[in-house]
Amino acid sequence: MIELDKHLIKKPENNHRVQRPTQTGFSSPATHYSEPRIDLNEVLVSNSSSTFFIRVIDNSFKENNVLSNDVLIVDKSLSPKIGQLVVATVDDSFKIIKIDSASNTELNIWGVITYIIKPVL
Amino acid sequence: MIALVDCNSFYASCEQVFRPDLINKPVVVLSNNDGCIIAANKQAKALADIPMFQPVFKIKKLLDDNNVSYFSSNYTLYSDMSRRVMDTLMMFSPRVEEYSIDESFVDLSSMHNANYDTIAHTIKNTVEKNTGIPVGVGIAKTKSLSKLANKYAKKIAANNNVYVVDTEQKRQYLLKNLKVKDIWGIGKKHAIRLQDKNVNTALDFANMPVAWVRKEMTVIGERLWRELNNVPCLELETVTNAKKGIGTAKSFGFKLTEFSLIEEACSFYVAEVADLLRQQQSLASQIEISLETNQHSAIDKQYRNKIILNLDTPTDSTIKLTKVALKGLQQIFKPGYRYKKVGVNLVHLVHKNEVQTNLFYNPHKSESDAITKLMDNLNGKYGKNKIKLATVGNRSKEWALIKEHRSPRFTTQWGELLTIGG
Repeated sequence: MIELDKHLIKKPENNHRVQRPTQTGFSSPATHYSEPRIDLNEVLVSNSSSTFFIRVIDNSFKENNVLSNDVLIVDKSLSPKIGQLVVATVDDSFKIIKIDSASNTELNIWGVITYIIKPVL
Repeated sequence: MIALVDCNSFYASCEQVFRPDLINKPVVVLSNNDGCIIAANKQAKALADIPMFQPVFKIKKLLDDNNVSYFSSNYTLYSDMSRRVMDTLMMFSPRVEEYSIDESFVDLSSMHNANYDTIAHTIKNTVEKNTGIPVGVGIAKTKSLSKLANKYAKKIAANNNVYVVDTEQKRQYLLKNLKVKDIWGIGKKHAIRLQDKNVNTALDFANMPVAWVRKEMTVIGERLWRELNNVPCLELETVTNAKKGIGTAKSFGFKLTEFSLIEEACSFYVAEVADLLRQQQSLASQIEISLETNQHSAIDKQYRNKIILNLDTPTDSTIKLTKVALKGLQQIFKPGYRYKKVGVNLVHLVHKNEVQTNLFYNPHKSESDAITKLMDNLNGKYGKNKIKLATVGNRSKEWALIKEHRSPRFTTQWGELLTIGG
């Protein structure tokens, strides 16, 4: 299952240098338009110093549409709003909880789930 | 004003972030070489009969009987968590000095007329929320005072891990409530001599005549004395521009006198910076090696030196860089000193594709390039430092390690992520 994710999630590249093959004929009309390729981190990880990844290992949270082998992206810097999913510590272990108006204010929130990466193959 | 932000029981706290079952429980972290306890959290320290620096096999039963959780050092995790804390501090100021893995000085001089109490609490709460690592914050006009403020913040529970020296009254109060031996940079020997002269509190020291301090404790003692009297003498040492050079200069954690051990540490750091160099597709033309004793210690003999060595041709080969670095280290190493840190700095970097060729530069891949590439591939596949040069040594567990009680590298390896389930 870990193998699968290696293909789904590419490690971030440290530099955005655009590779230019040696060109022998006419110069490319696109030369001045090249840009770094889309980087998922730009969108999925807005605050990298407070963002953590957690792997779901069974289907105990399926009522929130979180299934085994999903990877949660969790931002600890956020404060949850109603309707959002959080990772909280309950009885010494991590649980996924949906915040609603009835949620306990004493809830020990570890972080707010911002994205869920789902393998679909 | 300068803030000193210090993580509480940093190694144990890193482990606890990912283990909610260990919150408020005793946790110790072991060294990798001989299995001694090198770090313990508050709850573990409270168990008075757990001795620090004891081989763990001797006290295993004691640990188990007291429900103490123990971990092998997971420096990969600690280093990433440390960077997260550092990055969070950068939100408050662009000038942050990473003093050690769990302590940073933050320059707050850009905040004028600020309420420093509010700032201190905001820094503390933000770091704790964003990273899960609890910290203490001391704020004062000088580095030495902020260090003392931090110490005092932790000492008295009512301070809530925060102490701000923004008035003369608070400075006096702080110094009066700390002993001479608590002062950052005053060694045991000087502390005893001062006590003999009836200088007991930090305030007594700050009120000594400066001439006496200079005569008896050299310029280092005088600098300290001035700092405690609100005159900044120690500059913030922020990281050099990463584009011009890649470097690392870390304290050993304990003083080293043996050349062979310093050589190992140096080789390890060269491998580390060379790896960064290759990641950014650069070659280094020069390497700078520095070696220094603890400049803040008033008892140790002081020595620091630096050497810059040219490489025949710009290179990113760990093998070539290590060879040259160790040659340089040999030249600046003097026996008989207790060294605190070695620095490795790669300078005059050029991009791989922009190297100027010369008569002797062979653009074809050399043998050592191929070896370096192979090492990188193997290390990438099987984990950091699986393959290394012999100079890094097998005793280099101080600098890198893997052990049976090590927690997963939650934040750097896809295969070792934190897991959640029913």
